[in-house]
Amino acid sequence: MGVVVKKAELSWLDRTYVWPVLKGMAITFDHFIKQLFTPTSKRYTIQYPEMKKEMPDGYRGLHELKRFEDGAIKCVACFMCQEACPARCISIEAEEFSDLNITQGFEEKRPAQFKIDMLRCIYCGMCEEACPKDAIWLRKDYELAAYDRLSMQFGKWDLMNTYAEADGKDRISQDPTPSVPRRTIVM
Amino acid sequence: MDKLASLLHTTPAIAWMVLKVVIVFAGVMSLAAIFTWVERRGSAMIQDRIGPNRAALFGKIRIIGLAQILADGIKMFFKEDLIPAAANRGLFFLAPFLAFVPALLGFAVIPFGKSFVSGGTTYHLSVLDPGNGMGMLYPLAIGGMAVYGVLVAAWSSNNKWSILGGMRSSAAMVSYEIGMSLAVVSIFMTAGGYDPAEIIKAQGHQPWTWNIVRQPLGFIVFFTCMFAETNRLPFDFAEGESEIVAGFNTEFGSMKYSLMALAEYSHMMTASALIATLYFGGWQVPFVKDPSVLLSVACFVVKLVFFAWVFVWIRWTVPRFRYDQLMKLGWKRMLPLSMVNLVFHAWRMSQGH
Ligand code: SF4
Ligand code: SF4
Repeated sequence: MGVVVKKAELSWLDRTYVWPVLKGMAITFDHFIKQLFTPTSKRYTIQYPEMKKEMPDGYRGLHELKRFEDGAIKCVACFMCQEACPARCISIEAEEFSDLNITQGFEEKRPAQFKIDMLRCIYCGMCEEACPKDAIWLRKDYELAAYDRLSMQFGKWDLMNTYAEADGKDRISQDPTPSVPRRTIVM
Repeated sequence: MDKLASLLHTTPAIAWMVLKVVIVFAGVMSLAAIFTWVERRGSAMIQDRIGPNRAALFGKIRIIGLAQILADGIKMFFKEDLIPAAANRGLFFLAPFLAFVPALLGFAVIPFGKSFVSGGTTYHLSVLDPGNGMGMLYPLAIGGMAVYGVLVAAWSSNNKWSILGGMRSSAAMVSYEIGMSLAVVSIFMTAGGYDPAEIIKAQGHQPWTWNIVRQPLGFIVFFTCMFAETNRLPFDFAEGESEIVAGFNTEFGSMKYSLMALAEYSHMMTASALIATLYFGGWQVPFVKDPSVLLSVACFVVKLVFFAWVFVWIRWTVPRFRYDQLMKLGWKRMLPLSMVNLVFHAWRMSQGH
């Protein structure tokens, strides 16, 4: 069954074509004048390098590895994120350390190396979901570009400092406690 | 003028001629170049965008993006100049010039300011002095030549899209030329001559005695036909991304393309000069009986720029016509309308005498 489409009935004035064109020109001129007198900061276009878009909450941008107050990494090297990652771009190497304040002398785990290949990462946020310690966050930085592939391989210290400037924290490049040398099991 | 002539070891007449040619054509060409930018900026503003505003001289002086013209020119200049293997090489080289030269030549008879007398000789501010016997017929004839540029470009590039574009554009040109000419003929009739100087004088300096008020119908016909003539939207049938790629200039690149694009804008300038001369009193300054030379030139330039802007403005307001609608409008509306206009004015003149 077809649908009968009713054509709009054009008035005599509309059919001269001149009057509707004049009306259209009035509309476009209105837009032109409005644009002309709108300051750049109030226009729809975001002039990128000078102005930046405020990303909505829940945006998944560059990762951050969270730290405690004293600079110790929150990550416990449980490998959950590495397992969860669909792009297989996280690779972790664990080590042991002990800290009298936090772990009361017991030996604990933390990543010696924590690498994310940002070229492979699809910013899906699965690592964030998987983490039992809330140690890895995807935050709002979206300006991820580099001139070579190597600079897109983020290591542990890169990841811990990704938002240091934005949050006004110090950049850290050292764990507060030394790692325990791996014990060789003697039979 | 005499001093300049003695400096150049020529007669004053030749020096004045050279000066006029340089000023007019350099002026029109730079206006055309500026309008490539105005078109982009203006269309952006109309569509609530911003448009090209980044290009800067030496990376610092932005001048609201005007440097974009230079940047485009440099970019075009350094692009590879490809010629399709099966193209007709001779014509392919000739086509951009065939498009560009007629677009500019039409300007030659247009008076862009009031004639003035200095040292016993009258200096006319138009490249060809009035009374040259061609008058307003010349820009119309040259305007008809412009279609050769499009057609030759289309034919020589040996591309089916190009040929389709060229054919459509020439068909449109033929059907609109007649209506336009008839509209102009009724101006010739009422002005009593076809010399632009006479036409301007006949219009007087009061806006309500200009031809736009006397012959509004003729103006509408002429204006519409000018759009078809310059191949601009809503009648841009020589190109069309959705159907025939870039139409007649599909195969053109590098400087050839930029010459084609510049030809379109020069044509637009000539068309707005014609409109200003025929319907808006040319260099006449409204309400000023005897304007100074500079004022008259300024007034002409203002009119020219305004009508060029109207070309841009309409382009971004009105959607494209379908090809059959274009033909219908040309033959069934414009031609009868200009006919009615002609007969009406002929009747009025017969009543007046
Ligand atoms: S965001 Fe997704 S792809 Fe990227 S590291 Fe996390 S889990 Fe892997
Ligand atoms: S899931 Fe969290 S705690 Fe576990 S290794 Fe990944 S970042 Fe570290």
